Amino acid sequence: MTVVTQAEIVEALLAFIALPDAMEAEFEAMALKVFAWQFRHNEPYKRFALQRGRTPLTVKRWRDIPAVPITAFKDLTLSCTPPEQATHVFMTSGTTQGVRGRSYHPTLDVWKRSMLVNFRKRFMRGRERIHMGILFPDETALPNSSLAHYLGLARRECGTPDSEVFIGANGLELDKLFAVLAEAEASGEPYALLGASYSFVPVLDALAASGRRFALPEGSLILDTGGFKGQSRELTPDEFYDGLEAAFGVPRASCINMYGMTELSSQLYDDGNAVSHPVKSGPHWIRSRVVDPLTGIDLPEGQRGVIVHHDLAHFNSVSAILTEDAGEIVPGGFKLFGRVDGEASKGCSVAVAEFLAAARG
Amino acid sequence: MIEHAGHLPGLDAQALRWRHTSHAAWGESVTLALPELDEAQATALCESVRNNARARLKRMETARIVDAIDAANARLLDRKHPLRRKAEHLLPIVTGYDRETVRLGLTSYLKTFRRPQLLRFLAEDFANPAVLDGFQPTAKGGFLRAHGPELLLHVWAGNVPALSLWSLVCGLLVKAGSIGKLASAEPLTAGWFANLIAEIDPEIGQCLAIVWWKGGEEAGEAPFLKAADTVMAYGSNTTLTALRAKLPITTRFLPHGHKIGFGMVGHEALDSRKATALARLAAHDVARYEQQGCYSPQMLFVERGGRVSPAEFARYVAQELTAIAHRHPRRELAAAESAAIAGWRSTQATRAMGGAAELIGEPSDPWSVVHVETPEDLSPTGLNRTLKLVAVESLDEVPALVAPYRNFLQTAGIAASPKRLFQLGEELAEIGVTRIAPLGRMTAPEAGWHHDGRFSLLDLVTVTEIEQSTEAASEGFAPYVD
Repeated sequence: MTVVTQAEIVEALLAFIALPDAMEAEFEAMALKVFAWQFRHNEPYKRFALQRGRTPLTVKRWRDIPAVPITAFKDLTLSCTPPEQATHVFMTSGTTQGVRGRSYHPTLDVWKRSMLVNFRKRFMRGRERIHMGILFPDETALPNSSLAHYLGLARRECGTPDSEVFIGANGLELDKLFAVLAEAEASGEPYALLGASYSFVPVLDALAASGRRFALPEGSLILDTGGFKGQSRELTPDEFYDGLEAAFGVPRASCINMYGMTELSSQLYDDGNAVSHPVKSGPHWIRSRVVDPLTGIDLPEGQRGVIVHHDLAHFNSVSAILTEDAGEIVPGGFKLFGRVDGEASKGCSVAVAEFLAAARG
Repeated sequence: MIEHAGHLPGLDAQALRWRHTSHAAWGESVTLALPELDEAQATALCESVRNNARARLKRMETARIVDAIDAANARLLDRKHPLRRKAEHLLPIVTGYDRETVRLGLTSYLKTFRRPQLLRFLAEDFANPAVLDGFQPTAKGGFLRAHGPELLLHVWAGNVPALSLWSLVCGLLVKAGSIGKLASAEPLTAGWFANLIAEIDPEIGQCLAIVWWKGGEEAGEAPFLKAADTVMAYGSNTTLTALRAKLPITTRFLPHGHKIGFGMVGHEALDSRKATALARLAAHDVARYEQQGCYSPQMLFVERGGRVSPAEFARYVAQELTAIAHRHPRRELAAAESAAIAGWRSTQATRAMGGAAELIGEPSDPWSVVHVETPEDLSPTGLNRTLKLVAVESLDEVPALVAPYRNFLQTAGIAASPKRLFQLGEELAEIGVTRIAPLGRMTAPEAGWHHDGRFSLLDLVTVTEIEQSTEAASEGFAPYVD
């Protein structure tokens, strides 16, 4: 059965998310349905698929659904509905060329359900609510940030009423944060600190400078996401998670990294960072592959390539996305190894990165 | 087998530390040993090269140096010579280029260093090359003498085979005591060449050393950077900036940054007969050295109005790239290189989604061709046989499209009528293009080429003038004065 209206696809997806799990065949059926929807309503994606000879008639396996390079979100409007009808437009932080990738959402119903069901399972782990501290501006300050919305939703739906945001108009509110952490430490109640990875760095630096450290109660959690993006100094995973454990007394196994992106409607998580590069995985409505970047062909387990996500919840745009992240398929999910960077030339011809750097001045 | 790189006169090879690196390609592998000198060894080497140059090289006639280079070069051109055989065997394994590319490339490149071509090098830069041997009268009156640096340091980069010989030969021609730092991606040819020179003329061999250190490593490079009078360096602007910051202000710095080449095809070159041949030449320039050369084309501007449209020409080039790939397979790519191509292809595929570009070829092909119908600025591709063709109404539009990237310009390949060649040449010269070549020869500069628009020899020397009046004044102090 093909879906005809947006209401129908939203309903089908909400039902799919509500399932306890999905086998390959169930995922495939839903994925093909979403592909047919996007092929019909997303003109640039249709052209992209046609150029590859992949249409709803020829594609029989979810793995054959053509994956759009993530850069396309910068240059094209990838939306099944007219973009002006979007209630929310999420934009990337514009990491490379000053152009920001955009995802258009005519409704956040699926996005929110996807986020919450998965967040409860992977972060809350059976807890109803937890006292949260957020190290990221809220969605009033950053209305186009999917991360601000994510953290806002987490705080409202899974945080205790006294949960707070520690980034205000004047930036990071360290004194307030340290006071709350001290209270949490004394209270014996678990505490959760959530934010962009780079937001933790100045906190770690301030604590190190004052020689101060906290020992948050057992059961406390940390969630970081997004890496450093040139917003703070770069730390290796070991430096970062050792630093968090030492500063807050939260063992590395309780430090969870969320892997998400503006160009998706679902998030992927690990189960703690006791070791570097832990296995990451998503819920049953997203599947990830690792492919050879040139041929797009799936690589066998253990071989490093580029990650492709098929996120059915991202129904209004394109569900199949070729990222710029390096990864390896392993039992239970995949390992993430940061961005795949193009290399400078081996000779004396100028390559893209150097050229762009110079063009930016 | 371990191949030891470098040429280190006066140092005991047994006493040196060697760093071993492994290379594999085309089903074979080789281990190289690169010398790692400690500070005392490096300082001693600089001292001895400088002193030997002062005592010997500077006192030689240029003709003797030309003879030695010519003889060394003749051996490398001789396909039966053991060293040439070794070069043909090892360079493909180390650089990854296919055997035929290396063999043909070496021969065509080495031909620029035979005696007649060396004399051309000299004549290009010096009205009277004898200024390198002694004071010579000048047109304005007085006398002129030119000296190369006592210690010239070359910092090479890149994997294009034997590229280092260009600056090494230039240094020797101006009698500079020369120390070359090998590129990690091609750390062989310069050392072999220096060893040949030493074998042919041991005195010159004493004035020349080929070393290696890990790029940017303070301890390895410091003694050399301190000792050199002149530094000729190749690399990215980042590398060059870092290097310049470490040099004493009195050191002459001659940088050669990364460049981007492009081609221009006029409508007059696009009839059905000429266009096929031209596409083959363009494909040749793209495939030779996998676009790693500063002179390699990354973009072609193709004029509308010929019998063959720009879109058709793009297909011709794609066909020729397919044909070339059979004879000269593309090197095996490192993960990051594949990623660079994939990234570039992604951007082009995205534009194709918007209907603004046509991407020819499958991702699995060992080349990629993109064709766009609207004019756009010069930009680099993903390298390794990735080319963009841009249709333009008239080639007159091109200078404006490349002018913003002046600092990266060097070679332009032109296929147009003689009249237009010179018209376009004027405009290109004005915006910073320094070399204009035909398609098919973009990767093979002629002897005496002014690299990056500079004078290969003249930039190295310092002249001493005896002013005319000095000569007149000295007359008064002659023993035979009346």
